[in-house]
Amino acid sequence: MSTAIEVRGLRMSYGAADVLRGIDLDIPRGEVFALLGPNGAGKTTTIEILEGFRGRSAGEVQVLGVDPERGGDAWRARLGMVLQTWHDHRRWQVRELVAHLGSYYDDPRDPDELLAALGLTEQAAQRVGLLSGGQRRRLDVALGIVGRPDLLFLDEPTTGFDPEARQEFHRLIEKLAADEGMTVLLTTHDLVEAERLAGRIAILVDGRIAMHGAPADLARAVQAQSRVRWVEDGEERARATDDPSALAWELHRRFDGPVPGLEVRRPSLEESYLDLVGRAA
Amino acid sequence: MNVLWIGVKRGWAENLHVMKDRRELVTQLVGTVGVFALLLVWMGDKPVRGTDVSNGTFMTAGFLAFTVFSAGLMSLPMMISADREDGTLLRLRIMPRGIPVYLVGRGVTLLCQITVQCALILGVGVAVGGVTAPHWATVAWVVALGTLAVVPLGAAIGCLMPSPKSAGAILGLPMMALMVVSGVMIPVTVMPEVVQWIAQAFPLYWQGLGLRSAFLPDSMLAAEIAGSWRPAFTAAVLGGWALAGILLAPVLLRRATRRESGSRLAERRLAAQAA
Ligand SMILES: Nc1ncnc2c1ncn2[C@@H]1O[C@H](COP(=O)(O)OP(=O)(O)O)[C@@H](O)[C@H]1O
Ligand SMILES: [Mg+2]
Repeated sequence: MSTAIEVRGLRMSYGAADVLRGIDLDIPRGEVFALLGPNGAGKTTTIEILEGFRGRSAGEVQVLGVDPERGGDAWRARLGMVLQTWHDHRRWQVRELVAHLGSYYDDPRDPDELLAALGLTEQAAQRVGLLSGGQRRRLDVALGIVGRPDLLFLDEPTTGFDPEARQEFHRLIEKLAADEGMTVLLTTHDLVEAERLAGRIAILVDGRIAMHGAPADLARAVQAQSRVRWVEDGEERARATDDPSALAWELHRRFDGPVPGLEVRRPSLEESYLDLVGRAA
Repeated sequence: MNVLWIGVKRGWAENLHVMKDRRELVTQLVGTVGVFALLLVWMGDKPVRGTDVSNGTFMTAGFLAFTVFSAGLMSLPMMISADREDGTLLRLRIMPRGIPVYLVGRGVTLLCQITVQCALILGVGVAVGGVTAPHWATVAWVVALGTLAVVPLGAAIGCLMPSPKSAGAILGLPMMALMVVSGVMIPVTVMPEVVQWIAQAFPLYWQGLGLRSAFLPDSMLAAEIAGSWRPAFTAAVLGGWALAGILLAPVLLRRATRRESGSRLAERRLAAQAA
């Protein structure tokens, strides 16, 4: 079976509030998939339904071939989960906790190698409650992958990271996906992160998938209009267009030569994304 | 590795954490054992009025019973409530074997604490208070069965507590009341009959009775209900509580964690910080 996650018509409402309004997802094995969206879009709700923490209002969900509402221990042993915030086991030491929780699985990773991979070797004997935010997050990832899961869920994994820690974290996820073929579903509100890590991205806005595809396709699809500026009759002019080169050509012909103050600006993918999110809201 | 073994290792590790945290260890020990030692020194060698049994002997039996009882029905629910609040239970729920390992681990932690406290109370009683040596076999089975009777029950109560802070407040008063009426400090026969019946519904009364039978001579039976130690009845009632708790606890624990998720945890944390 080559599909890790299959979702059809997923809906979720809290009382009268419709948070998810019909979501379809297909995530093949071995893919790094990003669920991208602004705060409150329903990312955590989606991921917690897939993890089996929440019921759903409607729709069909299969995670590793099992409906999460009916997943047992054997199913759970194949998943790794990193929730948005963890504060547990504060009295344990880092290495002690990794080794202990690893022992619940049949074939756990070696705790020392794992700590080394996450840059936590120096903190091995430190109490979990005394770790910094970034260190705690890396420990959570360590605990998420200690059982060699087939599928890893990461809910906003890099929130609160400094740029350097974020870089390191990105390298780690890339390595896990490349070396071990682990399927990863991560949520983020950061387009740059999604673009860097994910083979495919789904943009979740207001409980619907507004768009999905590879980062490059997405860039083309969401491309907002370019802005062309020039000076005419001593006055500054500007126009938004889908085809800036055609407009520039037209201006060249009209001026019959160089166009004074000509400037063409293509919006970045990020600007386009914000535009999309803004339009839906 | 199997659940039982991982659970034992988990419980032992938790114990070491408590021991490293000196303040917590001192509070735990000074709590019951300290009060006991003070009372012993103050009035332990006087005889209980109208008898030749020392106050110290009567108090030792009472404190042992209360130690087991409060560990099971006060400390344990507060531990479970705290583990739920900080996400420890949720973490274990998402791991294979997590919940059974947790239950075994907490059982082991508690058993160690009860053993250490009981040993200290007995040691202090015999060494300082001149307490006459009890019938050891009886002490052993009553403490063991008494622990089994309250631990699963305490786990069940812990699942029902809304938060660790309120757990102390909710449990404190009923526990004190139960202690007063259960005859572990004051002979139960001085209570009105209704109160005697209520006391006999709870395991604390029976633990106290079983322990008194190990420490006191038969000349003290006049102060007991029915004028007998009723050992078979004691075993039956404690066994009944143990069975009820063992059946109830896993169900409640699973229910308490089933409705749990990362975002719900975060919400509660925010609410607790705002309060
Ligand atoms: N347990 C809940 N009860 C009611 N509303 C909720 C609950 N959890 C989330 N919501 C609402 O659902 C929406 C989506 O939340 P969430 O899935 O956490 O979004 P995201 O993770 O994308 O920021 C938000 O408007 C949030 O307020
Ligand atoms: Mg979220």
